[in-house]
Amino acid sequence: MNLILSDNLQRSRGTVFFRVIFALPFLIWLAVWAVAAFFVAFVTWIATLFEGRPPAPLHNFLARFVRFATHTYAYLNLAAEPLPAFDGKPGYPVDVAIEPPVVQNRWTVAFRLVLAIPALLLLGALFGSGVAGEGLWRGEQAGVAGLLGTAAMLAWFYALVRARIDRGLRDLIAYVLSYGAQAWGYLLLVTDEYPDSDPLTAIGPLPTRSDPIRMEVTDGTRRSRLTVFFRLALAFPHLVWLSLWGVLAFFAVIVNWFAVLFTGTSPQGLHRFLARFLRYSTHVFAFLYLVANPFPGFAGAAGSYPVELHVAEPGRQNRWTAFFRLVLAIPALLLAGAFSQALAVVAVLGWFAALFTAEMPLGLRNLGALALRYGAQAYGYVLLLTGAYPYSGPCHEVAPPPPAATATVTPVPPAVPAR
Amino acid sequence: MTRPSPRALATAAGVLVVAAAWAWGAHALWSATELPSADLPQLDPHSYFSDHFLDRSATYERFLVILSLLGSAVVIAALAVYARNGHRLARESAAGRVGTGLLLAMLGFAIVWLTQVPFDLAALWWQRRYDVSHQGYVAHLLNSFLSLGSEFVFLCLGFAVMMGLAGTMRRWWWLVATPAFAALTLLFVFVSPYLIPDTSPLDNPWLVAEARKLERIEDAPEARLRVQDVHRFTDAPNAEATGLGPSRTVVLWDTLLRDDFSRKEVRMVVAHEIGHLAHDDPLKRVGWMALYLIPALGVLALLTRRRGGLARPEAVPLALLVLVVAQLLAAPLLNSAFRREEAAADWAALEATREPETDRSLMQQLAEKSLSDPDPPGWVQGMFGTHPSMMERIAISQAWEEGARVGR
Repeated sequence: MNLILSDNLQRSRGTVFFRVIFALPFLIWLAVWAVAAFFVAFVTWIATLFEGRPPAPLHNFLARFVRFATHTYAYLNLAAEPLPAFDGKPGYPVDVAIEPPVVQNRWTVAFRLVLAIPALLLLGALFGSGVAGEGLWRGEQAGVAGLLGTAAMLAWFYALVRARIDRGLRDLIAYVLSYGAQAWGYLLLVTDEYPDSDPLTAIGPLPTRSDPIRMEVTDGTRRSRLTVFFRLALAFPHLVWLSLWGVLAFFAVIVNWFAVLFTGTSPQGLHRFLARFLRYSTHVFAFLYLVANPFPGFAGAAGSYPVELHVAEPGRQNRWTAFFRLVLAIPALLLAGAFSQALAVVAVLGWFAALFTAEMPLGLRNLGALALRYGAQAYGYVLLLTGAYPYSGPCHEVAPPPPAATATVTPVPPAVPAR
Repeated sequence: MTRPSPRALATAAGVLVVAAAWAWGAHALWSATELPSADLPQLDPHSYFSDHFLDRSATYERFLVILSLLGSAVVIAALAVYARNGHRLARESAAGRVGTGLLLAMLGFAIVWLTQVPFDLAALWWQRRYDVSHQGYVAHLLNSFLSLGSEFVFLCLGFAVMMGLAGTMRRWWWLVATPAFAALTLLFVFVSPYLIPDTSPLDNPWLVAEARKLERIEDAPEARLRVQDVHRFTDAPNAEATGLGPSRTVVLWDTLLRDDFSRKEVRMVVAHEIGHLAHDDPLKRVGWMALYLIPALGVLALLTRRRGGLARPEAVPLALLVLVVAQLLAAPLLNSAFRREEAAADWAALEATREPETDRSLMQQLAEKSLSDPDPPGWVQGMFGTHPSMMERIAISQAWEEGARVGR
């Protein structure tokens, strides 16, 4: 099952403003369809146990249901602009390609409900309530709304102002929908492929970026069972050290704020100190949440850890955005909160997986890395390490190009020395 | 015969000076605790406890002692294997020299924890069987697992100090490490009253007033009086005195304040704990710790030289083994000093309350509640006993009463 994304990011302010109301008929229809899908899935389960493959008519019905659910949630959460059709036919800007029925392993069919539990747990963290900002309006934590709800709420404000959706938010919502479609498909026996949570492969081609704060993951997926089992306790001294360091960083960031307000740039020493603090916290959380295997050092030294945070040298920042930095950071911090909830679920699932297989599933590792990267960018923005707003979507990150070449060109020596 | 080099002579002289200072310190600490009556009467346990209780408590404690001995043997075996192969786990670290050493130290402790799980569960099963504890197995394991985190913090602090000093001072790091650890222990004793979980101020006005009166009689400084909520885990009664200066605290377990104990008995416990504070026992413990550390760290420095010294992370697994063995060897010596302090606190409590009858009934109750063998075998008491046995404590009471009768 693959997500097909052909959305052009343009949004109409009117339909965005009334999006929840416009989506209501589709949600009601989805609920009615879900009741039917439940019974059809049960019949499909029995048929697949006997036949080894789901009957084509039942498979097609469930595939349409999954597709329609994806369309509806894409519309509701602003990942697509046009109203979806009620029949779940292909062709929507956020669509799911579903293959015809194939032979499935009877054992995995028999225990499908149990096997789906980890995927459903992750889906719960990603979806939350599934409705834009529902939890936030009640004054609850961002985690209640899940990654999808929080991203959709932020996209709603963004689209109302700009008449388009931010690429990062759209891609993040599309990624969550892709995982949702895979999880529903797996649960309803539309496919026997286990849902893949890898954000780097979920939605097709990704942008290549070189943000001022970027993360580079060079660690493999091997995990030591012993350090995995005791991971929380092993990270405890780091957490104590990090909190002590955090006290100093708190005062440093206040000084940094005044410095940026007056001079327009962060002083080199303060910038280096705060960058080191942010790098160290990334190392610690990468270790704690099993995104990386080795035990990190206590100094946050650059180049010392396989989940590396690169922070660009201090550059000029807009004084107005610096003055209102805390207020401007609220959306990013809300999303970082939702990411951290997903990260916790990644760690719990990864803990069990790594304990049994000595490997961290790549999809979970990459989702964890995405969450860590967003958190680092968000807190880097708060710490005034950069004026660039965090990028929320999955992307490929590369080092920024080197400064323009100088006029002198060094001659390349010949491969074979002349005789 | 070759003449010793000046360097060897200087080393020998230095070792002699350290040994002399150590012996002087040990003597000073030992004699700082005065026991007015050294000759205790020989008492028959059957005169104070029923046959049934004596049998039951002896059986109960025998099993725990066997478990403890087996557990210690397994710890040593596990650490011996770890000392040999543990350095391989350095590949799981990206933390540099000291950080890798800290990881190896924590993993060594983690392995020890794993080996102790069966013994821990067996001990809990035994305590539940005898109704001494009613904690659930899962809750017990989970608490024990989660408490590893805070233990690791102290372990890391200790090894960071040792490895840091070993990296800069080479062979003689242990001489500097001892005062450094003594200072850290002092700091820990000072803050420890604030780290005890689930405590609240003592809200019994009568007992607070009595405690203040006892402080005046025993010439002890005013202490904080706290109650620790432990009844969810155990029925056993207990109390402790800890802290230094303004943090001096007497902590009473809430199991002690139930109706099972009379007011006079609780007051006797408070008098005993105030006795500890009057004698500066928390400070003496720091002194004993320093005295223990001088030879322990000296031997540690000597034995880890084969692995490149404690500055190298590869030496950490061996260092763990050395420290644990040193602790096991030193335990009987340290316990004898602690028993002396406890006996002196008992005596102080008797002097302050002048109620030997209450003291004896308290000791009987304490033994019955915690199911402790009133008269354990000598070797068990020597190895594990941090307090005098209940029969010795009753004998102290008798000796005090006798002294009071003849006018001392």
